[in-house]
Amino acid sequence: MDAKLRDIIESLIFISLEPLSLERMKVVLQEFPAEDVEQAFKELQESYASNDRGIQIIQRAGGYLLSTKPECDLWIKRLLKMERKNKLSSASLETLSAIAYHQPTTLAEISALRDVDSTHTLKTLLQKKLIRIVGRKKSPGSPLLYRTTDKFLAYFGLNSLDDLPSPEEIKKILEEQPDIEE
Amino acid sequence: MDTSESYQVRLEVFQGPLDLLLFLIKKRKIDIHDIPIAVIAREYLEYLNHKESINLDREAEFLLIAALLIYIKSQMLLPREKALEEEKDLRQALVERLVDYQKIKTASLLLKEREEEELQQWKRTFLPPLEESDEMDFIEVSLFDLAESFFRLMKQREREETKTIRGKEISLEQKMREIVEELKKNSYLDFLEYFSRQESIEEAFIAFFSLLELIKSRIVIATQESHFEPIKVWLRKKAYKRN
Repeated sequence: MDAKLRDIIESLIFISLEPLSLERMKVVLQEFPAEDVEQAFKELQESYASNDRGIQIIQRAGGYLLSTKPECDLWIKRLLKMERKNKLSSASLETLSAIAYHQPTTLAEISALRDVDSTHTLKTLLQKKLIRIVGRKKSPGSPLLYRTTDKFLAYFGLNSLDDLPSPEEIKKILEEQPDIEE
Repeated sequence: MDTSESYQVRLEVFQGPLDLLLFLIKKRKIDIHDIPIAVIAREYLEYLNHKESINLDREAEFLLIAALLIYIKSQMLLPREKALEEEKDLRQALVERLVDYQKIKTASLLLKEREEEELQQWKRTFLPPLEESDEMDFIEVSLFDLAESFFRLMKQREREETKTIRGKEISLEQKMREIVEELKKNSYLDFLEYFSRQESIEEAFIAFFSLLELIKSRIVIATQESHFEPIKVWLRKKAYKRN
């Protein structure tokens, strides 16, 4: 296989700030046959998987990204002088999972599920672009409908909504730990 | 209840009333589908009692569930001839809400783990965005650097210069205007190059002080790409518009 094509693909993934899909690669590499692009990409993936490298290719939100490995976290933080990245609050996490499992959904439905007024949390999540408005529900008051975004998937390291913890997984956890954790 | 004294948990740690209920249910290792309403209602109210005041904006929901629990309990206490459907329904509805909430809550804990893992895998996306500024992304040169490189140049000139030409009398203001005009024509001036092109040391000095004056009044900016790189002088965009 043409090593050059592989290099091009590697550099495209490197330079992309968002997950780069195979479809997009094919569009950019228009002068190459689609099968060649696929083949070259596969080889690139294999090479990353087999070589012992500090950088890995990961699949997120339907595309591919280069990322560092978890074991290098300590030194990266030291380099960037970042003590700790901001994490989402419990309220945000709860609201996000309510939306993720019930989307498209409304503010009233989310608030009912959590039994907590979620107006403020929803606003924060919109600002963070983890959720978006997709339309209005055809019901009294036509409330806004919300969905999770691709950024949500990438943030939690998911490739698609199918990667969300499954009902079985959740059930298993609930059965495993009947005790309280504070 | 002895647990309430020895094991206090602040209400604020709970996301909402369902969260608190789940906590109580888990603590007593009760089957979520078969809640002893009387026991849970009592414990729930005890938690509310720990609070000196209830913030109605944030905690009204806690009271609503409390009222519901008391209502279900009171219905159970009433002597009745036929089984009360309403009580069963309310109970069932509450259990369903709890079960649904428990799923979300568990999923959110799983998501939290994913978040943790994912944040340890750095991507270029997480690099801080480039600062939006109307200036170039260079190092701003300090007065010290400017003076140093100016005097070094002047020393060089001194050695080279064998005869002194009487410089024309030139004012600071004139020179400042000259610099700004030059900057309007060519986006930047090379600091050293500009001074070495001055006719006399005197004029170079005046040019130097004019430049300092311009920097001070924030009309121009002196930058370099990194240390030891040539110093360049730019007109500030805002000043350009103003003039």
